[in-house]
Amino acid sequence: MKIEAYKDIIPDFEEFRRIMATPQPYWMRVNTLKISEKDLIARLENKGFRFERYRDWNAYMIVESPVKHPGATFEHSLGYYYIQDFASMIPPIVLKPRKGERILDMAAAPGSKTTQIAAMVDDSATIVANDIRDDRIRALAGNVERVGATSVIITRGDARAKRFGMTFDRILLDAPCTGEGVVRKTPRKREPDLREHIKFSKMQMRMVENAYRHLKDGGVMVYSTCTYNPLENEHVVQYAVDEVGFVPLQIDIDIPYERGVREWRERSFEGIWDKVIRVYPHRINTGGMFIALLKK
Amino acid sequence: MERFGIPVRIVGDFDFYEYGKGVWATRATTIPSVKIETLGIRALRISGSLKPTTAFLRIVGKYASKNVVYLNKSSGLSFLKGSVIQGVCGDMRGYVVVRTENDILGCGMCKEGSLISQIPKKYRPDSSWI
Repeated sequence: MKIEAYKDIIPDFEEFRRIMATPQPYWMRVNTLKISEKDLIARLENKGFRFERYRDWNAYMIVESPVKHPGATFEHSLGYYYIQDFASMIPPIVLKPRKGERILDMAAAPGSKTTQIAAMVDDSATIVANDIRDDRIRALAGNVERVGATSVIITRGDARAKRFGMTFDRILLDAPCTGEGVVRKTPRKREPDLREHIKFSKMQMRMVENAYRHLKDGGVMVYSTCTYNPLENEHVVQYAVDEVGFVPLQIDIDIPYERGVREWRERSFEGIWDKVIRVYPHRINTGGMFIALLKK
Repeated sequence: MERFGIPVRIVGDFDFYEYGKGVWATRATTIPSVKIETLGIRALRISGSLKPTTAFLRIVGKYASKNVVYLNKSSGLSFLKGSVIQGVCGDMRGYVVVRTENDILGCGMCKEGSLISQIPKKYRPDSSWI
């Protein structure tokens, strides 16, 4: 949909529209499996990079880069850092993976969140990373290898129906979506239409059902997308709660965010709208992201 | 890993599985009972003989105490680009861990006094890199 369709649900819409017309900065995360933040940042600053760190997080906005793409360094090739948007770092942080757990990343390629999870648990867990297409699996495997995440097992399959042969303590479903939140990074010729939002929404619901089947009792799932349309966000979470059996949980995270959408085109999201969160680029200079935390 | 003098306590952190054309190293504790594409990181390639991979040496190579070649920065860069480096192998023969003071670069092979780069093409730097 055209971005104007969201003017009633995105606060400070004019500021949002203004920032959407500006290029998105690169962000990066230090791969602590291989190097300390302090050592890597010193090395890259010596090469002419300048960073703005987000609080005391392992999240650095690249404000000056001596190369066109900030991944064109030996340090990147050695797996010392990962170019990853700030918004994309949030779902694994909300997931809170712990050492020794079984964790499933259902739609994992190209692997930014999978490798972030591996770093968060110090490569000491069982992380199953799944994706559907060969080219995406290759990209995922390349990144897992580059960062040295030996705890990751890659499977290939359709996240709507794939059987993983085990249950998990935590599941990340960063669902395929229409991607309205990444257009600053990847501009495109046209906006998705209503039919596409509905198509993705149905697919996301099937994935949520499959996630439920693979979650242990008491386990948690993070559902996230990088799009703005409530059909792919609050509507899917409402379905997960009303029809699948998930329980929505409050998200405790110290970043600028907005609560979810309460109503959209005659659909009401009572019971979940105040638990899910939306990250907007005019609140922090990143892409858009929707995140829900659900318990089985 | 004995060839490189990597302590058992380091290698013992991983489980090793022969799968496809490789031996894979993983710290995953549960292997799903379904077809898998990769299982951790490939540690060795099986093609007649066993060849250590650059990816795995970049994880454990810092603990190597034997068959290690140290390069200065500029030779290290040439090695990463795939060049043959002369005069660094000494008496060593066969696969070696190649490193600079700070970084493990990966796998090399000492043959007749020359260090031959075994760095996969995907890790070789482009001329625009810094």
